[in-house]
Amino acid sequence: MKKLFCLLLALCMVLSLAACGGSGSSGSSAPAAADGEEAPAASGDTLKIGVISPNTGNLAAYGTGIHTGAELAVEEINAAGGILGQQVELVELDDRADPTECLNAFNNLVSQGIGLIIGSATSGATSAITGPANEEEVVIIAPTATADSITTEDDYIFRVCYADSAQGAIAAAYAKTAGYDKVGIVYCTGDVYSSGLKDSFSAACAEQGIEVVATESSAALTTTEYTNQFTAMVNAGVDFVYAPYYYDVIGPYVIPQARAAGYDGVIMGADGYDTTPDYVREADAPVFNNIYWTNHYFAGDTSEKVTSFVKAYKDKFGSEPSAFGATGYDSVYVYKAAIEAAGSTEPSAVRDALADTSTVYECVSGTFSFDVSGTPVKGAPVITFKDNGDGTIGMELVDVVEATDLA
Amino acid sequence: MKNNKTARGYLVNTLVIAAAFILFQMLTGIFGGEGDFKLVLVPSLWQCCYLILLAASLNLVLGFLGQLSLGHCGFMAIGAYTAALISLACERAGVFTDKAGLVYILIIFGCIIAAGLLAAVTGLLVGIPALRLKGDYLAIITLGFGMIIVNVINNLPFCGQDGLSQGSAAASLYKTGLGFGSKAKVTYLWIALVVTIVCLTLMFMFVRSKYGRAIRAIKDDEIAASASGINVSSYKVLTFTYSAFFAGVAGALYACANSSLSTSSFAFTNAGILNSTFVVVMVVLGGMGSLTGSIVAAVIMFFVNYQIANGSWVAALPPLINGIFKYPMLVYAVVLVIVIIFRPRGIFGTYEFSLVRLPEDIKKARARRAAAKAERKEAASHG
Repeated sequence: MKKLFCLLLALCMVLSLAACGGSGSSGSSAPAAADGEEAPAASGDTLKIGVISPNTGNLAAYGTGIHTGAELAVEEINAAGGILGQQVELVELDDRADPTECLNAFNNLVSQGIGLIIGSATSGATSAITGPANEEEVVIIAPTATADSITTEDDYIFRVCYADSAQGAIAAAYAKTAGYDKVGIVYCTGDVYSSGLKDSFSAACAEQGIEVVATESSAALTTTEYTNQFTAMVNAGVDFVYAPYYYDVIGPYVIPQARAAGYDGVIMGADGYDTTPDYVREADAPVFNNIYWTNHYFAGDTSEKVTSFVKAYKDKFGSEPSAFGATGYDSVYVYKAAIEAAGSTEPSAVRDALADTSTVYECVSGTFSFDVSGTPVKGAPVITFKDNGDGTIGMELVDVVEATDLA
Repeated sequence: MKNNKTARGYLVNTLVIAAAFILFQMLTGIFGGEGDFKLVLVPSLWQCCYLILLAASLNLVLGFLGQLSLGHCGFMAIGAYTAALISLACERAGVFTDKAGLVYILIIFGCIIAAGLLAAVTGLLVGIPALRLKGDYLAIITLGFGMIIVNVINNLPFCGQDGLSQGSAAASLYKTGLGFGSKAKVTYLWIALVVTIVCLTLMFMFVRSKYGRAIRAIKDDEIAASASGINVSSYKVLTFTYSAFFAGVAGALYACANSSLSTSSFAFTNAGILNSTFVVVMVVLGGMGSLTGSIVAAVIMFFVNYQIANGSWVAALPPLINGIFKYPMLVYAVVLVIVIIFRPRGIFGTYEFSLVRLPEDIKKARARRAAAKAERKEAASHG
């Protein structure tokens, strides 16, 4: 009796937790459940696309972005008559950003006969399915797996985001168009993201004919002292410094100390600067000027493509789409374009259409075509921070670096 | 008489395993290694194999020795990276090219053994200082070890990106020399099964040897054990090292099953079932002190985890219940609560499943239940 009571109590607690959580995210969970329910009964008339993303676990925000973006795209496509006359249906699976779970989800999709897959968010999880996808001849479009080697080995793997090394090249292209021919670099030697961007930036500078006159470094991402590095930049007389760091040191340490050291020029970074405004002390807000960074897409972009996407996403999900939402949305549209070009939903035909490097895809995250490996050749929006005057920091689009500007 | 019985036990087990193996190979032949067999069943078996090894090896420390270790996945990470990097070095050096043939199989076994050995050496180095602590303190130090290993691997340039001389410090290793594809997993499934069976046999032999009896004595009462002439700290370190060896082997199997490695898979924050706390859960669920219990629990946990993520019936449930499955951790919690309510000492307790003893065990259990019933009746009539 006591045991049953304990059991009942435990079940009550779990159900109430589930009910609470369920009501919070009902917008996204309801369509997912409906998709799954119809999956076994669906006829041959619908085109199924698999989506693998980390919907639970500590990277759940990434997965939520990707599958909501994809759902929005599918809704739009179905309302407009589908692809090749077929309605599209998403089959969504969760990989918790873990390679093994990702492979399980992939195998599950393939055993259901699905040959077109969008996934996954992280490079670590995605790399677990690239080999098997090639073996099973299943097409994969990765929304946000940025590691350089994801697309290089296998024929069936594509992605809609740029590779890690491309961001440095984009920053160099921006420096060139903005008219800087002498630049400095401050980076972190102990981090692969920071040092990788530094390598690609300096390589691109060499190609663009920009001279790197000063290079300074910090040892670890946890370093909180950057005065010496920027004093060296002042002494070298540069007005453009590439500083690829993450938001948690950029906001509180790098920028305020650089300005205190007397450096007033441009500081440029990459997508690690995203969410910096949340990490800025109120008193520091006035020094946040002349700071530029590249991102996958910018929600405040005024181009028609982006504004209509942001509006549709806000109407459906009630929040501003993240970069993950944009790439998830783009992945579906890239499939649509490729299937229509191939005139078939056969994975191998779709693959051949995607492999055509001359096709141009006009997407929310930029206009691009694929290179030989399956990575898009594309530019990026350059975004700047601006002081709102009330101690907070806003963001503004400065420029869009086009693929043609790259060396 | 006793020796005779043991020999009979070994004989029966060997015959049953051989028969099951042959049956399985025949099934493989019938299904032709295609479809769901290749995509669902075989990868599941691979995952079960390394989870079984992981849980069973932790049971040596947790169940038989009675020491709480929360860093078991650290040893698995060492094993996985060792196997992956050695095989990658062989591939880059041109020892094998097409991932087939006798040389390749020899390299796989070499990698598995090397993975176990390196994990064992690390286990020895960690165990010597750590096992002087007890209870919570040991748990904390092993917890720390698990995190340290992940960070060390993250910062070793040859363990990241493309690996070896082409690598750089990173959270993921994208190239491994092993990394079986779907077809290779079917072809080489026998390796996983053989390795698992051999390792389990070694573990069973260990717990039944004089070492096994010694560590059980230590678990029951350390002071009494040391008064009886058992060298407590050396037995503790020995068990810890022995257990780390099999965790390393499990890591090597993991490296075979995945074409890339990511340190987040072995970290505490891993949202899947492959993290050190979940291995502890498996051992507790199966019964601390029962290797067969660990095997059953590992398979159950794998099955629950797999079905939550991939089972089509989950989506067909009514929304209220379906809501629970959006939070996998809740489901594991319910499974654990149910097991602990009804079987406080785990599914198997300290009972070991044995084919030879099965008939008499069933008879005994029936007799016990009848006795308990009679007792209750008597108590009721008196009360």
